Amino acid sequence: MTQANRQILTKGLWLENPIFRQVLGICSSLAVTNLLANTLFMCFGVVSVTALSNLTISLLRNLIPQRIRMIVQVLIIASYVMMVDIIIRAYAPDVHRFIGPYVGLIITNCIIMGRAEAFASQNRPWPSFLDGIACGLGYALVLIAIACVREPLGFGTLFGHPLPARQAWWHPWTIMVMPPGAFFMLAVVTWICRTISLNTKPRKQV
Amino acid sequence: MDLPDYFAEYETSKTGIAMEPLQQFGPFVSILLIFISAAFTDNILLARFLGMCSCLGVSKNVDTSVGLGLAVIFVTACTAALNYLVYRHLLVPLGLEYLRLITFIMVIAAFVQLIEMVIERLSLTLYYALGIFLPLITVNCAILGVCLFMLNKPYGFVQTFFFGLGSGCGWFLAITIIGGIREKIDESGLPKGLVGPGITLIIIGIMSLAFVGFSGMIRI
Amino acid sequence: MTSILLAVAFLAGIGLLLAALLILAERKILNYGPCKISINDGARELEVQGGASLLSGLAQNEIFVPSACGGRGSCAYCKVRVLEGGGPVGPVETPYLSPKELEENVRLSCQVKVRNDLLIAIPGELFAAKRYTGVLERKRPLTYDIVELRIRLQEPDGMDFLAGQYVQLESEPYKGRDAVMRAYSVSSAPSDRNHIELIIRRVPDGIMTTWVFDYLKEGQTVHFSGPYGEFRLSETDAPIVFIAGGSGMAPIYSILKDMKEKGIRRKAVYFFGALTQKDLFFIDDLKKLEEEHPWFAFVPALSSEPEGSDWKGKRGLITQIVKEALAEASTHEAYLCGSPGMIDACIKVLTEGNMPEEHIYYDKFT
Repeated sequence: MTQANRQILTKGLWLENPIFRQVLGICSSLAVTNLLANTLFMCFGVVSVTALSNLTISLLRNLIPQRIRMIVQVLIIASYVMMVDIIIRAYAPDVHRFIGPYVGLIITNCIIMGRAEAFASQNRPWPSFLDGIACGLGYALVLIAIACVREPLGFGTLFGHPLPARQAWWHPWTIMVMPPGAFFMLAVVTWICRTISLNTKPRKQV
Repeated sequence: MDLPDYFAEYETSKTGIAMEPLQQFGPFVSILLIFISAAFTDNILLARFLGMCSCLGVSKNVDTSVGLGLAVIFVTACTAALNYLVYRHLLVPLGLEYLRLITFIMVIAAFVQLIEMVIERLSLTLYYALGIFLPLITVNCAILGVCLFMLNKPYGFVQTFFFGLGSGCGWFLAITIIGGIREKIDESGLPKGLVGPGITLIIIGIMSLAFVGFSGMIRI
Repeated sequence: MTSILLAVAFLAGIGLLLAALLILAERKILNYGPCKISINDGARELEVQGGASLLSGLAQNEIFVPSACGGRGSCAYCKVRVLEGGGPVGPVETPYLSPKELEENVRLSCQVKVRNDLLIAIPGELFAAKRYTGVLERKRPLTYDIVELRIRLQEPDGMDFLAGQYVQLESEPYKGRDAVMRAYSVSSAPSDRNHIELIIRRVPDGIMTTWVFDYLKEGQTVHFSGPYGEFRLSETDAPIVFIAGGSGMAPIYSILKDMKEKGIRRKAVYFFGALTQKDLFFIDDLKKLEEEHPWFAFVPALSSEPEGSDWKGKRGLITQIVKEALAEASTHEAYLCGSPGMIDACIKVLTEGNMPEEHIYYDKFT
């Protein structure tokens, strides 16, 4: 893999992580992280839509007139989201009942629109595809990290399997299931990651 | 409190929740209840997590928050009603419900464009003040979210309008309070890693904690 | 199969319906009707269709306000004073307007939309600016990245300008890039009113320079508007210091030719800064001018020429050379042409040599 492509991956995953660095795509990340199963399907959705729409927009970038650029991008993203929505509904109907509307809201997920505008409309298809995967994975990593804290603490289970402590003595923390818990967890994750990145790269701007 | 039931409050497309049937209230009372539930108990930002991105970016001071909030109220109410009509009278009869995502977003985009033109004609100062936020409203999750949530509710046209109005007002309320608190917090010393999104999320979390106290008040 | 067709037809239908609705709405809502523009206290009155920018409204009426960015609000060339009817100042304009300019109602004409009757004030010489059509008579390289264009004017067939002024050259669209306008100083003498010569340096990936270097051919029709600019020789007798490098030579070369033809014998020194010998051009012409005219001295200086090469002229940064040559500059006038960084550095050196700031004239290339 070339140096440039490797940089794309590290940027999407850590240096310019969409969640704690660029603060995009927060909406869905708070809603679905109460259960790890929900999170994994959501991440699958976001990674595939970001990568595929980046690829498509990059392939079409010289053909789209300037004036209707945004509308065409939204339509492309909407089509992929519809496909992902149908796939999730077919293969995991229980999960879909919980995260249904939030899958639809991937269309308005700032990450995808942002990457399409900033990267895919000016770069070649393969780097754009990699950038989509990288940002999607960056998003997924943060979400999985949050879910791995919220689900055990909130339900006492992990991926649906009850943890040993749950049966013995652990009383679930209700707050982790509710919206405030999500906000606090995301704040903590943002704090930790930003402090790490501030300390490792002292000359980097916040 | 049994956990699965509590969690059921936040489920969106399950129809088995014990919801109060609307028919028992008169028309005006039902509209009032819908408005209050949309603004407080089911606050679109604090309980449903929607509209965060623009919120985190904008809420730095109260003036821009108010301007954006008012615009969002207007767009949410009108597009909720419009999309209701499009859904019930166009998509359902043709059997094309699965196209709702694309159709809704197209209607929202066209409506926002229309509003942009009207604002530009009527008040240039407001147009410049809103600036970049107007096109950003199109991709505001809250608006598309309201349109998707209203599909699962057994509301009529007028009730859907007030559902949208209430949701918009709830969003406006949340973002204005957050803006006010952020203005004050800016003056105190914070750890470097918390500056910006970190502290904002904690503020929102605390507010959300307060609003959770409303839950169960009205289940409509 | 039918469901697929139905879905596609429905989406296309909704899309067309919404698009038609928006176009109709734009016609009705943003229709401002005809608006009057009164220029310079009624010296000229225009009527334009409302809804477009002031810049394009003026251009349609043959008043060419200079613009380098094509109306995007990034070059700030198009400043005019809008005394009445301009509406609030937009966020795109505020970064480019100083508080004094805001008090005087200076606006960017590409950002002011004509919605009602306007009262504006523009510099008188803009009335003289026209749009010209010409043919490229000669395109010859001067160095590895600088080319000289000689254009014969066709319609109108002559342009009256002052040495030091510039024109706005228009490029043509090519390979995914739009047409743009860029400002270039005229390097030929004003006496040759049927031709203009331009010196253009290649900017890597620049829209205009790529067109000039790679697409423009001799015999091709070109368009430009002008003349613009206030950079010109003063009317005094003070001795002159010229400082310019690369394509910055253009207005100075025009001024020198003009001085020679008109018999203006003010003492003049021209400091020409460049990196290496590869960047020098017109050396023989300028040396010849030096020999024939004792009032003129030509001082080329190279800052990155390798040690031990055959260059016998001065070496070092141009600011250093100027400092050494001009210990006392209080009576001189300076004319500078180049990048903003170079000009700021030279101004510093000159003012340290006691030159009053009012005696320093410059043409900043952005």
